[in-house]
Amino acid sequence: MRPPIPPISPRKSQYGIDPSLVKKRVSELPGMTSVLLKELFPDLPEVIYPSERGIAAVRRATEEALKKVDMSMIKPEHSVNILASHHGFTLLGGEPYAEMLKTLKDVIQARTGCKNIRLRAGVGLRFRETEEYIKRYGLDKHFEGKAIGVAPIDEGIPIKTEIGTLYGIKKIYDADWIVHAHNSDVREVHFHRQVDRAVKPFGMSYARIETRSTYHQNLGPRAANFTARAIFDSPFVQSKFAFASFLTVTPNGIVGVDADNDLYALNDRITILGCRYYGKMMMLFGEIDECIAALDFPCPVVYVFSAGVIYANFAGANTDLYDLDMPLPAYTWYTEAFYGKNGKPLLGEIPSLNPAIKMCVHNYAWTGYPSAFFSEHIPTVVVGYEQAELFNRDPQNLNYMKHAVVAETTEAAMEFAYRVTGTRKVLIFDGAIGGINVSEPLAEFLLKKAPEVNERVESELLPKWLRQRGVDLLELKKCTA
Amino acid sequence: MKVVNLLALVDREKCRGCKTCERVCPVLAIKVVDRKAVVDAEKCRGCAACEQRCPYYAISMVKREEPVVVSVEVSAVDYTKVEELCRRAKLHPEQIICYCTATRAEEVAAAILQGASSPEDISLRTGVRTGCKVECIQPILRLLEVAGIKPEPPKGGWQWYGRTPTVWEIPDEVKKKYARRGFYFDEDIKLLDRVATAPLQERSDS
Repeated sequence: MRPPIPPISPRKSQYGIDPSLVKKRVSELPGMTSVLLKELFPDLPEVIYPSERGIAAVRRATEEALKKVDMSMIKPEHSVNILASHHGFTLLGGEPYAEMLKTLKDVIQARTGCKNIRLRAGVGLRFRETEEYIKRYGLDKHFEGKAIGVAPIDEGIPIKTEIGTLYGIKKIYDADWIVHAHNSDVREVHFHRQVDRAVKPFGMSYARIETRSTYHQNLGPRAANFTARAIFDSPFVQSKFAFASFLTVTPNGIVGVDADNDLYALNDRITILGCRYYGKMMMLFGEIDECIAALDFPCPVVYVFSAGVIYANFAGANTDLYDLDMPLPAYTWYTEAFYGKNGKPLLGEIPSLNPAIKMCVHNYAWTGYPSAFFSEHIPTVVVGYEQAELFNRDPQNLNYMKHAVVAETTEAAMEFAYRVTGTRKVLIFDGAIGGINVSEPLAEFLLKKAPEVNERVESELLPKWLRQRGVDLLELKKCTA
Repeated sequence: MKVVNLLALVDREKCRGCKTCERVCPVLAIKVVDRKAVVDAEKCRGCAACEQRCPYYAISMVKREEPVVVSVEVSAVDYTKVEELCRRAKLHPEQIICYCTATRAEEVAAAILQGASSPEDISLRTGVRTGCKVECIQPILRLLEVAGIKPEPPKGGWQWYGRTPTVWEIPDEVKKKYARRGFYFDEDIKLLDRVATAPLQERSDS
């Protein structure tokens, strides 16, 4: 068995405990190993990062992708907002996304002569998160002081769409042109269901609370993504949209940069990537019959990830998140909303959270996302009183510790989990790059199951998923070739 | 229902009276007086919106010595009316509308029936919209609307701007235009209707 892969280090942030308090990583415990994703799915693409070429590979790929983009609409006297989102900074340590943003600025300036180029970085529910990243990656300096974080409670702007008025963040749109700088990592499949993934920030990190509430409360689990499309297609946004540049990501790393003036063409390409490669990982994780889920990553509870699959999606891996015929995943905010006062779903058809998760060991994860639903329905052990106290001080998580218990050390938490659950299978959500950190019994299990999952996705599920999203199967064949 | 255990504290040295805090507070608990922000401790619901948006980092959140419980007693109003209001807004009375505080539609409806007439008032009474501050504005506006109340956003504030479309209001031509792109409008309408009309698990007046 291979040694574990070094996990992503703890980060200093107002949303997590001080890194010095993370004394032990779960992957350091006895019995842990790693599996390379290429061992599971040999058809995963080759990555440009991490590689021996380092971060320069991302700069080169960005420059190359931008060669086919038309920037003639940007004149030297214009202003440009490069729009970023927090999530990109959580991928592979954050440097690749930051490098793409810096390269975008440099190339736009060199090609158009425009110097008034700003960075506007949107957030999820942690309003200062991108402020932290802007400092960490030197983006304030690179953008000559014109880099700011924006939040959904900042001043808004009404946007007329074909379904009615929605609202964006004013500072996102306060330039002549906008450049949409994002990534293809799937992350919240339970919300977006890989429908218009490329467009989503227009209804989320670039949007005001009214719009985000529309997505999560007004439209329904499979119609919600239309919020973003409605905004993006509006005459107002179209009058400002210049082009998009995406880090293309698969579960094993950064595979390139894709840029286009046509966001929907780019969307189709990343839909194929998302369904094919992340789909396989999710279906494989869905095969796990029993395990302890260990959270160990600088991100809120739901977003810690393993092989590109976030904990929130593993909690729903007992269902096929990509199958749009299935209305409600086991976890999404619509599902959470539909639990009545006796703690059971209001409709019989609502699936329970993944019963394979016998216990969750929360070794290290951040606040800043309402997570009590997880500790309420999955037995959860939080490591360290400081971490428990941090959750008790988070307005979004005042109920999280009502349902969780505290262990003083990682070792004690895992011993407790082994004893109570009786399983030795452990899946660690620590952002390990290129592989997954797991316990030896789970490694054996996954290696055995992967070939069958690969075959099922390729022959049966992928064509169905793409058909449901109106993505041309010919594109898939070109991709395969 | 929310247990409010935090309170905003202003550092008067750092505060420059820019009013950002005043514009984002969901319960109007902070005001700039003589160029300095002042917190109304009774009204503050500990949501940290002001602390998170202050451009000068002049606000911190401190633990209250005594946490304050804010809630509306649903059983104090006629539950038939609560249920009717929720169902007309196409919400199940037991449906959670604030994921951070686990506040259900019935509590917001009860607050309205007890006289709450704006999102700010509802947040003050129930604690809803004082967690993430983002996701629950629309069901609040929908419940107010079916109660015949048309609140005005706070003048000069950024608290909220307006009610937005629901899936029941999506025009047919839009549905038809995008039917093949993975948007399941009609199917989601059926699902949400089934939820809204599902039987109660537990009546709050029983």
